Amino acid sequence: MWIVMTTMLRSMLRDIHTLVWNILFPMAMLIGLGLYFNDAAYSYRLLGGVLTTNILFGATMVTAFNVMAHRNRGIYKLLRATPFRTVSFIAAMTGARTVLALLVSACVILMSLFLLGVKLSLTGLGLMMLVLLIGTVCFTALGFLAANLSRDENNVNMISNLMSFPLLLTSEAFYSLEHAPNWIVTLGHLQPFHYLVDAMAIAMHPQSNVSSIWMPLLILAGFTILILGAAAWTFRWDAEQPVRWKQGAARKAATM
Amino acid sequence: MISPTLIQAKGLRKGYGQRTVVDGLNLDIREGEVLAIIGPNGAGKSTTLDLLLGLRRPDAGTITYWTTDPSPHVGLQLQSTPFFAGFTAIENLRMFAAFYGKRLKDAQLMEHLHRCGLEEFAKTDALRLSGGQQKRLAIAMTLVHSPKLLFLDEPTAALDPRARRDIRELIRSLADKGTSIVFTSHDMEEVHKLASRLVLIRDGRIIASGSPEELLSQYGTASLEQLYIQLTDEPA
Repeated sequence: MWIVMTTMLRSMLRDIHTLVWNILFPMAMLIGLGLYFNDAAYSYRLLGGVLTTNILFGATMVTAFNVMAHRNRGIYKLLRATPFRTVSFIAAMTGARTVLALLVSACVILMSLFLLGVKLSLTGLGLMMLVLLIGTVCFTALGFLAANLSRDENNVNMISNLMSFPLLLTSEAFYSLEHAPNWIVTLGHLQPFHYLVDAMAIAMHPQSNVSSIWMPLLILAGFTILILGAAAWTFRWDAEQPVRWKQGAARKAATM
Repeated sequence: MISPTLIQAKGLRKGYGQRTVVDGLNLDIREGEVLAIIGPNGAGKSTTLDLLLGLRRPDAGTITYWTTDPSPHVGLQLQSTPFFAGFTAIENLRMFAAFYGKRLKDAQLMEHLHRCGLEEFAKTDALRLSGGQQKRLAIAMTLVHSPKLLFLDEPTAALDPRARRDIRELIRSLADKGTSIVFTSHDMEEVHKLASRLVLIRDGRIIASGSPEELLSQYGTASLEQLYIQLTDEPA
């Protein structure tokens, strides 16, 4: 599994899309917005927003595109004919993405320390890494789910956007929902990204009560298990295999 | 002397929706043979391969293998080119070696690429290789674990004559070294040159089976192409 993970990671670091969208874009966003607002208090929200949004889009969208491409090219079908366990492949893929996310996050955090004057304790840094770790697994699983429900590039783009944007817009990643309508706040509390943002904010803020992080982390972990289960249940080996709920309809038609 | 049987399929049946694709198929794959599975598009060739490999579950019938877990001993090349995007030829090979539990050094991977005439493309993005080179890389990927049995699904489809010749030579050299090979093809000249036995499938059923010479003499046709047209033209 180590060879599979390191080969994937090397390829990701060479990929121009990963370099631009997962590495350069979050850094540019942090510097651009940080210098534009030039507000020490907002810098913390900005750092949390950039880190968590990078996880949301980097893990969900890139995984969704990769998984769909792997499936449509027949890689999963071929993989199934080998003794390598699919769960090991998924773990290697998630592991490579997690290492990349942690590397990028470390760079973003370093930039915020030096350029935006953000101050973080060692405990805070450790907790942030834990939050990023659980968040990456959660949203990588969401990427698998998006790919499982998609047929092709257009489809996967639409479905992953439909999943990601409502999560972002009903969260407090970049702005407060204090004055938002109640239904938006309620919706926000029903989705995992809210708890990622919440846990990150608690982890990074020096005045936060660190013990309060466990509740959002636990809820995020619960969402992770749920999404992983849904991703495993809907997993498709090859492009010809229908989406899960259509399989039942196909079987029913066959028996008629 | 009849060679030992590697795979024995009995009464295989598979349908998608209301369409039956494989319909009561009986087939043995023997050690050391080069078996061609031929038939019109949609006859059930690829589904038969999928069933034999355990990639799809049959609706009925049984498949018996020579060993409890054949996957470490079987290589598969699909019609598609299943390469990881952004991976070089050697990286794709390294990945597939890892899937078979092999940790191969660069020199060993280069040896595999050399065997398939791809050593100069080791660092080339696999998806940027030509059609023939991609097919050869796909075959190289099936060989990283020295399989006992190789399944090749239309290995020379859509290739130019030179690339087709190269792949045929590769298949022939593998067969000479004792690898059992099952391949599908629409090219009857290729089937005649490579296959020690062939089965002709139509509507999910085997309608003819034997060595090319046996079948030509049995049906009194001059070529496999004539035989194919004659047997697939008849009403089912």
